[in-house]
Amino acid sequence: MKRGRVLWALVKADFLTRVRRTSFLVTLGFAVFLGYQTFAGHIVMQLDDYRGVYNSAWVGALMGIVASSFLTLVGFYIVKGSILRDETTRVGQILAATPMSKSFYTVARFLGNFAVLAAMTLVMAIAALCMQLFRAEDRTLHLWSLLSPLLLYALPAMAFVAALAILFETLPVLRGGVGNIIWFFLWCALLVIGVRPAVSHGSPLTRADYFHDFTGLPSMFTQMRDTLVTVDPHFHNNFSLSIGIKPPRHRFLWTGIRWDDAQLASRLLWFGYALAAALLASLFFHRFDPARERLTRRPKETAERTPVLELAAARELARSDPWAARLTPLEPRTATNRFFSLVAAELRIMLQGHGWWWYAVAGGLFIACVAAPLKASSGGIILAAWIWPILVWSQMGTRESRYNTGSLIFSAPNALERQLPATWLAGVLITLATGGGLAIRLLIARDLHGLAGFAVAVCFIPTLALALGTLTGSSKFFEALYTAWWYTGAAHHLRGGDFTGVVAASSTPLVYLVLTIALLAAAFTRRRTQLAYA
Amino acid sequence: MKLSIENVGKCYRGGLWALRRFSLELKPGVLGLLGPNGAGKTTLMSILATITRASEGRVTWNGADLASDPNSLREVLGYLPQDFGVYPNLSAQEFLEYLAAIKGLDANAAKRRIDQLLNVVNLADVRGRPLGGFSGGMKQRVGIAQALLNDPQLLIVDEPTAGLDPEERVRFRNLLSELSGERVVILSTHIVSDVEATATDIALIANGTLVAHAAPEELLRKVDGRVWEWVIPSADLNAVKQCYHVSSTARRSDGVHIRVLTQDPPTGAKPAAPTLEDAYLDSLAVHRAGRAA
Repeated sequence: MKRGRVLWALVKADFLTRVRRTSFLVTLGFAVFLGYQTFAGHIVMQLDDYRGVYNSAWVGALMGIVASSFLTLVGFYIVKGSILRDETTRVGQILAATPMSKSFYTVARFLGNFAVLAAMTLVMAIAALCMQLFRAEDRTLHLWSLLSPLLLYALPAMAFVAALAILFETLPVLRGGVGNIIWFFLWCALLVIGVRPAVSHGSPLTRADYFHDFTGLPSMFTQMRDTLVTVDPHFHNNFSLSIGIKPPRHRFLWTGIRWDDAQLASRLLWFGYALAAALLASLFFHRFDPARERLTRRPKETAERTPVLELAAARELARSDPWAARLTPLEPRTATNRFFSLVAAELRIMLQGHGWWWYAVAGGLFIACVAAPLKASSGGIILAAWIWPILVWSQMGTRESRYNTGSLIFSAPNALERQLPATWLAGVLITLATGGGLAIRLLIARDLHGLAGFAVAVCFIPTLALALGTLTGSSKFFEALYTAWWYTGAAHHLRGGDFTGVVAASSTPLVYLVLTIALLAAAFTRRRTQLAYA
Repeated sequence: MKLSIENVGKCYRGGLWALRRFSLELKPGVLGLLGPNGAGKTTLMSILATITRASEGRVTWNGADLASDPNSLREVLGYLPQDFGVYPNLSAQEFLEYLAAIKGLDANAAKRRIDQLLNVVNLADVRGRPLGGFSGGMKQRVGIAQALLNDPQLLIVDEPTAGLDPEERVRFRNLLSELSGERVVILSTHIVSDVEATATDIALIANGTLVAHAAPEELLRKVDGRVWEWVIPSADLNAVKQCYHVSSTARRSDGVHIRVLTQDPPTGAKPAAPTLEDAYLDSLAVHRAGRAA
C-alpha cells in the first residue's frame, strides 16, 4: 500500500512537471497535428485501391495504426530524458538518498513516460471521434470499435516505447545522440519485423506472428483483407499507410477487429515486454552516483588539493601576497573583434571529446571520397561522411542551455553578431572537411551542378542543426529529424528530399538554398529573443 | 566611470514585481548589495549584466543607455552569475580561452591573462583537468577567473563566495578590495561578513526596493548605542525573543549570551560595539515595520 502511494507520488510529480512545461503543449500539438492530418485525409490507409467507409471501426483502426506507427517514433524522442532531468535538476540525488530501490525508480519513470504518451493517445482518440462525426459517412458510434485499436494497438506500443526510453537512458552508450540515431533504425526494424509476414506472403498470421507484432498492423490487415476479398476477389494484397498521396477510388465496408484470445494476449504481452525493459534498465541505472557519470575526457593527472589554511593564516597570506599585483592590466585596445579566433575556439569545442578513431574514420571517408569512382563518392560514401559528424552538429546552438553557460556568453559584447555566426561557420567548416573529398572529385569532373548542390548542402546541414538547436535547446530534435531525413530522403535519393544535392536526378539545390536562408533567419531570430539586448 | 540606475523595475510573468523604483548611482569602489533571499538582488544583477531587460526605468554606463547601447557596457563588464555552468569536457585553460575569444580578447594577451588568473585563483596546477571533475568551489574559482578575463571596469559578482573554502574566501575578498580602486565592483550577497570585509558602500535591498544606501560607518552609526549584550538563562530565551530584537545568540557555561537591538536596555545588559550584521538586521526590521504599518 505504502509502495503504491510512493509510486503514485513519483509518477504524478513527473507527469505534472512535464505537463506544466511549454514543451508539453508542443507535444500535444504534434498529436493534434497528426490527428488532423489523418482527419483531413492526408494520411491514408488503403488496400489496393480501396479504403474503408469512415465508420467507427475504420476510423478507430486508422487512428490506432497511425498512433502505434508514427507516434511511437516521435514519442520516444519526446519522453527520453526523464532520468537526465532528475540529474540536471539534482532532484535525483535527493531521491537516491531515500530507501527507494533502483527497480522502483526505473518503473516509476517508465510509468511517467507512459502517462505522457497515453495523453498523446487520448488526443488521437478525440481526433478519431471528431473524424467519424465530421466525415459523416457513418455517424453510428460504436465506442469499442472506435477506441479498441487505440487501447490495444497504440497503448501497448506506447508502453514499450516508454520503457525503451528509460532503458536507453540507463545505458551509457545509448543515453546520448547515438541512442537517438539507433532508435530510428530500431523503430524501422520493429515495423518491418511485424509487418513482413502478413503483407509479403498474403498468408494468415500464425500465433507466433502476433507476438512480434509491435504496431498491430499485421493482425488488423489480415482481418481487413479477409473482408475485402469477399468484395473484390482479385485483391492483390497491397497495403499502404501513406502521407499525402492520392486517395483511393473505392470504398468497402469493414466492421472492425475481432479480438480473439491470442490477439489480446499478444497485445497485453507488450506491456509485459515494457515492464521487463524497465526492470532491465534498473540493472544499469547508476542511482545518480556522480562517480559513475561519464566524461568523454578523463583527467590526465590528479593533482593534490591545496591544504586548507586556518582563517588567520589565510588572512596573513593574502596580506603578504596581494593577488591583484599579479595581474597585468590589459591595454584598452586589446579587446578587439577577433572573429576568427572565436571560430577556432568554437571548432575546438565542437570537436572536443572525440577519440583518435573518430578522426581516423572521418579521414578515411574523406580519402574514400577522393579515391573512389564519382558514382560511389556521391552515393554511399558521401552519405557515410555526412552522417558521421551528426553528434558534432547536433550540439550547435544547444550548449548554452544544456550546460547553463548562457549568462556568461550572452553578457559578452556582440554575442548575436559574433558568437552565433562563429558557431555556424565552424559547423560549415566541419561539413566541408568531412565531405570535402567529394568536392575535389566534382571539381576534377567539372560537374558544376554537382558542386553547386554540394555547396548548398555544406551550408544546409549545419544550418538545420543550428536552427533546431537554438529553437529547442536540445540536440535530440536534430538527431531524430536529420537521421530520418538522411535515411528517407538522401539515402533513397528522393527528389526534394535529397539534401546532398550531388545526384542530378534528385537534386534540388535552389529549394535547399531557400530553406537554408529561412533556417538561418530562424536561428538568429531565436537567439535574438534569448538575448535581452540584441 | 559611472553606473546610474534610475527608477528601475522588473516585472515577471504573472505580474510579480521583483524590483520596483530602484535608483542608485555608483562610482569606483565596492558596493555591497545586501538583502534577504528573494529581495531582488539577482534580478538587479541580471539587469546590470544585460542578461535581462528592465521593465521600467533605465540604466546608463558613463551616460550610455543600456537599452540602446548594451555593448558599451559589455565591453568592460566582468560578470560572475550566481548559478552558471561549464563545459565538462573542457579544461579550465580551454574554457577560459573560449570565453576570452567570446569577449574578443587578443589571443596573446588572453593567454598571458589566463596564466595569471589561473595562478590568482589557485588553479594553475589543475589547469589541464576537465572541468567535469572539478568540485563546486573549484568551478566557482573558474567563474571568478572568467569574470576578470577582460580586466573589467564594472565587475558584478553574485554570491561569489558560495562553495569556497575559508582560505579561498579570504583570498577572494582581498582580491576584490585590491581591484576596487579603478573600477566599480558590485558584490551581491547575503553573507554580511563578506561585505564587511570589502565594501566601501552598502546598499540594502528588501522586497525589491532600496532600503538604505550608505557607507558602512554611517550604517553602523545608526545603531550606535542601541546594541546590548546580555547573559540570560537558556530557559528564558524564547520569552526574551518575544520582547526584544535578538541579533545573535551563543550558548556558554554561564548561560546564553545574546545581542539585542533596543533603545531601552534590559536590566543587566551591557553596551556592545555594533557590527554590520546588527545594522543590517535593524534596517530590515525598520523596513518591515514600515511596510506592516
